[in-house]
Amino acid sequence: MAGFLQQVVQGLGAGAIYASLALALVLIYQFTGIVNFAQGELAMFSTYVAWQCMAAGLPFWVALPLTLVVSFAGGMLIERVIIRPVEGAPELTIVIVTVGLFIFVNAAAGWIWTFLIKDFPNPFPGGALELGGVSLSFSTLGVLGVVALVMGLLYLLFQHTKIGLGMRAVAANPASARLVGIRVGWTLALGWGLAATVGAVSGVLVAPLLFLEPNMMAGVLIYAFAAATLGGFDSPLGAVVGGLVVGVAETLAGAYVGFIGSDLKVGVPLVIILGVLLLRPQGLFGRAAVERA
Amino acid sequence: MSGPTKVDDTTAAPAPARKRRSGTIPARWRWIALALLLAAAVYAPFQLVPFHVFQLTMVLVYAVALLGLNLLVGHAGQISLGHGAFFAIGAYTSAVLVDRLDVPYLLTLPLAAAVAFLVGFGLGVPAMRLRGLYLALVTLAIAIFLVPLLKRFEELTGGSMGLTLPKPVPPAWSGLAEDQWLYFLALGVAVLAFLVAASLLRSRVGRALHAVRDNEIAAEVMGVRLSSYKTLAFAWSAMFAGVAGCVYTWVIGFVSPDSFTVNLSITLLAGLVVGGLGSLSGPVLGGLFVMFVPSISQDINDAAPGVIFGLLIILVMYVAPQGLAGLAGRLIKKIPRKE
Amino acid sequence: MSELVVDDLVAGYGDARVLHGVRFTVKQGEVCAILGPNGAGKTTLLRALSGMVRTRGTVTLGGTELSGRSPDTIARLGVAHVPEGRGTFMPLTVEDNLRLGAFVRRGRAEVDSDLDRIYTYFPVLKTRLKQAAGSLSGGEQQMLAIGRALMLRPRLLLLDEPSLGLAPLVTRELFRIVQAINAEEQTTVVVVEQNAHLALGIAQQAHVLETGRIVLSGTAEEIRADEQVAQSYLGYRV
Repeated sequence: MAGFLQQVVQGLGAGAIYASLALALVLIYQFTGIVNFAQGELAMFSTYVAWQCMAAGLPFWVALPLTLVVSFAGGMLIERVIIRPVEGAPELTIVIVTVGLFIFVNAAAGWIWTFLIKDFPNPFPGGALELGGVSLSFSTLGVLGVVALVMGLLYLLFQHTKIGLGMRAVAANPASARLVGIRVGWTLALGWGLAATVGAVSGVLVAPLLFLEPNMMAGVLIYAFAAATLGGFDSPLGAVVGGLVVGVAETLAGAYVGFIGSDLKVGVPLVIILGVLLLRPQGLFGRAAVERA
Repeated sequence: MSGPTKVDDTTAAPAPARKRRSGTIPARWRWIALALLLAAAVYAPFQLVPFHVFQLTMVLVYAVALLGLNLLVGHAGQISLGHGAFFAIGAYTSAVLVDRLDVPYLLTLPLAAAVAFLVGFGLGVPAMRLRGLYLALVTLAIAIFLVPLLKRFEELTGGSMGLTLPKPVPPAWSGLAEDQWLYFLALGVAVLAFLVAASLLRSRVGRALHAVRDNEIAAEVMGVRLSSYKTLAFAWSAMFAGVAGCVYTWVIGFVSPDSFTVNLSITLLAGLVVGGLGSLSGPVLGGLFVMFVPSISQDINDAAPGVIFGLLIILVMYVAPQGLAGLAGRLIKKIPRKE
Repeated sequence: MSELVVDDLVAGYGDARVLHGVRFTVKQGEVCAILGPNGAGKTTLLRALSGMVRTRGTVTLGGTELSGRSPDTIARLGVAHVPEGRGTFMPLTVEDNLRLGAFVRRGRAEVDSDLDRIYTYFPVLKTRLKQAAGSLSGGEQQMLAIGRALMLRPRLLLLDEPSLGLAPLVTRELFRIVQAINAEEQTTVVVVEQNAHLALGIAQQAHVLETGRIVLSGTAEEIRADEQVAQSYLGYRV
């Protein structure tokens, strides 16, 4: 039993990371109906920015806010410069543009920082909390705590600020939002900025667990897709719940299903994506009627 | 943001443009151009050093794969981010048949095509119930999943080490060197593939696919059984990729899971977009692109090909959604008018 | 002194022109009804006024040029548009919908007191504050849309077919409230209606639009008196 719980805890730790990237995906999808295939790469790039700050001698807790600010500005800039021209274009076009962005950002990071792996410090202390035979590492607790914090802050932003109200209005009805005087273009850019910031958090959480390298997020991205699909692409809460479920499912499948083992775990998100899309395409928390043609 | 206007755009814009283009270039000229191109293709391997012949061979391999991807993306308007997986399936089918069952390599071609077609069909049935974005997600997940899967079935696939195979020996009657023989094999397969694709697109199937791309809802109303055509497009498209993978195995003589990562899939899509969606010459231009951009730009930096690809894809989507082929078409259109 | 001046307004979608040189004025504090059959361009006229479609010609509000500006800028200049389909923010609460109407205004206390004012016009909304707007009935959504528009404290209120899809009783109540609002707040109103009878009941001026042109103008009484003419000329019952 303790062994099982241990696996669940480990799965929640992994799931929290998937949740954070899924949250970034959902933020953009909500406002624009775009699935940003470059989200993981943007997160990776942000993580390099943090690494660069630390390499220049800044302590982690200074580098982090700096990175978040840079990511926010970068996200807004990308929306204004790269996404704007194809706004309202067919889905195929937009997907291809974000794939282009994926390739470009990945290669740009490789160009600037080379493809050699780099160590990234873990902001959380080592060691673990023993609880009834289950060990909760501070690192896992830290990751869960950060994701809860991000979720809480987003909730406050959306539900209790005027900017958040405007953003929800744009997500619900862009034409009508324009009519009440909301600058929809800037709101979309704001959404991209926020998504890039949340993505940066997820990159900084991933990097100490893996190594920092340009392809770091490629593996995480597919889990984040599964999480967002499971939770519903238009539900931030769904993204977090989906992320945790995917993390636990993956860990348990790897540990207890002999055939899957640790190497075929990456089949889990594929099965989840396919299953959800065929059985309940809007996901657990998504709204059904939204058919974005 | 509104739905109906978007639908109008897609129906109105690309279709007439295509019609006009094939209308203004006289058929006679196109045949002459094609014949010259083929003559040049036959002549080339006797003038080039083996390494360049090898590069051209790979261009043909990629062109066949892109031809398949083009059926799906360019003609049926469905996005696949996982076509490298079908390429890999074709490559491995050929490799395993040669390595484990001593099947003559030429015979592996139809078998690789059949396996890729069937897998494509099998995956196409559920996948094609999904709209645009979700298909992209699922195909991406398939491409990512394939690599560990190939590593797992070690007895068959050789695991991470892959399989090393003897390269096809040129028959004595041909008097060709190995690189030249491989080149002509690839050329033969490519010509055949283009003929098949061209006749496929001219048939009612092609028209149904265009109807699917240009307006799903209207196509459904008109009685095109959407999902079955989409599934078939997926299967054919997988078949072409599988054929390309098979020839790849002949040419390289080695397969390993890490040759078929998700990067291959994304590179294929990039090549197709730059070459030109929805045109027959697009895949050739895309093949040239996929082959030569990395080999030339890698001297600057390992990351240079990616930077170039990424920027070009975005630029192409802004200024020339029909890619290089579309640009070339526009130029050709201008010439006869001036005369 | 005319508040809204529309001069030689041309508008359409893509290549299709819908309005061909529309010209009219509305005095400050007056209600102007735009009548006409389906497809005459009534909705497009309102969309042109609020910047939702590209236009040629000029539109000024109190001397400020509106033409060529974006919808959000026009809203900031004091134009509230209750669009076709009501423009409800479905997943948001009723209160959020109303607050969005005041999005461009500053001063929370004022906005709060305006909310109370809206509840006196539409008491039913007060009972539904925390409910998702999408769960309201059609009539309630129309009230919400008008309430949202009023939250802007608009200089000019544009109403697109407020009666559409509503029971006659509800419609009459709605028009009564619009009239009360106009009387109390001195808001200039342009209302597009198919139900000419109702619209003429609250309007001072009226214009009949047909295939993108104004074919008949006058005071509400004149147009009403012209009922016979309109009926034979336009082929529909006024």
